[in-house]
Amino acid sequence: MNEKHKQKLALFYCERTPKSSEQDKQSLEQKYGKSIRLFPIPCGGRIEPLQILRALEEFADAAYIIACPKGKCRYFEGNLRAKKRVQRAQEIIKSIGLEGERLGIVMNEHAKSLARQAEEIMRSISHLCPSPVLSPHR
Amino acid sequence: MITAEQKPIDEIREMIAPYKRILALGCGSCVAECAAGGEKETAMLASTLRMAAKIDGRDILIHEKTVDRQCVKDFILPLDDIIDQYDAVLSLGCGAGVQAVAEMFPAAPIIPALNTEFIGETRDQGYWVENCVGCGDCMLYDFGGICPLTRCSKHLLNGPCGGSRDGKCEVDPEVPCAWQLIIERLSKFNALDRLENIYQPKDWSMKQGLGPRNIIREDQQR
Repeated sequence: MNEKHKQKLALFYCERTPKSSEQDKQSLEQKYGKSIRLFPIPCGGRIEPLQILRALEEFADAAYIIACPKGKCRYFEGNLRAKKRVQRAQEIIKSIGLEGERLGIVMNEHAKSLARQAEEIMRSISHLCPSPVLSPHR
Repeated sequence: MITAEQKPIDEIREMIAPYKRILALGCGSCVAECAAGGEKETAMLASTLRMAAKIDGRDILIHEKTVDRQCVKDFILPLDDIIDQYDAVLSLGCGAGVQAVAEMFPAAPIIPALNTEFIGETRDQGYWVENCVGCGDCMLYDFGGICPLTRCSKHLLNGPCGGSRDGKCEVDPEVPCAWQLIIERLSKFNALDRLENIYQPKDWSMKQGLGPRNIIREDQQR
């Protein structure tokens, strides 16, 4: 793996994620710079496989979703739908030879802040090689 | 509606391999309803194929477009303005849509991205069931709105077979016995006497015995 490579993460998160206000978002963007792109969504269930695929196609080495824990979704099952859709997108990317772990969903069981979640996700994807989908001359 | 499922991605990649400029063409009708070939699925497939090409180091262009109905020429006619920009069309229509596009644009190679499956109903979100074989001689009146040809595993017109258990088919215990459903419905409408008829074997010449079928309605024509 290229040690100098900085992963680019597309992070979709439910707006009910703790400490995910616009201010929190901006400070995260300042911290990680171009390595992270944040997409607040009204509910995890709003995510579509297409949005995840587009992120991987256009700029991201990995795409993750932060959804509410089981039984805690304001819309009852948005988080469960998000999980299924991420699984669907994972199947698609695996079918073309990408690692499934480039996509993931975190059900925020312990109500961690957006910043904390982002840090943990960044750490979990740090071992991934640069995405072969993206040009090496980014 | 006509149901369909996307072909395996490797099969699609193999078929599009000779071409560099491809139009992924979705259909906003039946195949959109069964989440196989609508606008969203077309965009997903196009995105997936572009990524696969980049991984392979191939330089291809895939644009996507979805028309309301691929099987109606009036809806595909506007493609005439853009079709020359592409080497091939990857159609996410049903078999009828693919062939309508092929006939309308004879110079463009047409590649099917879906396997057309059956005439069916959306029973629930993400759940489609076959309930019509298009026999050309509908007998749903006789059977209380439940088609034994499609929904009875043995296609019995003079059922039940006697093998069902707890209302489920002996061929597949997950499938409700069509004849149980028929009898329940006819009983509800006090019409069980319809089953006193002995139904003759179907006249399959109404289906495909005379080759491809067509319907002509002069009152609908120009």
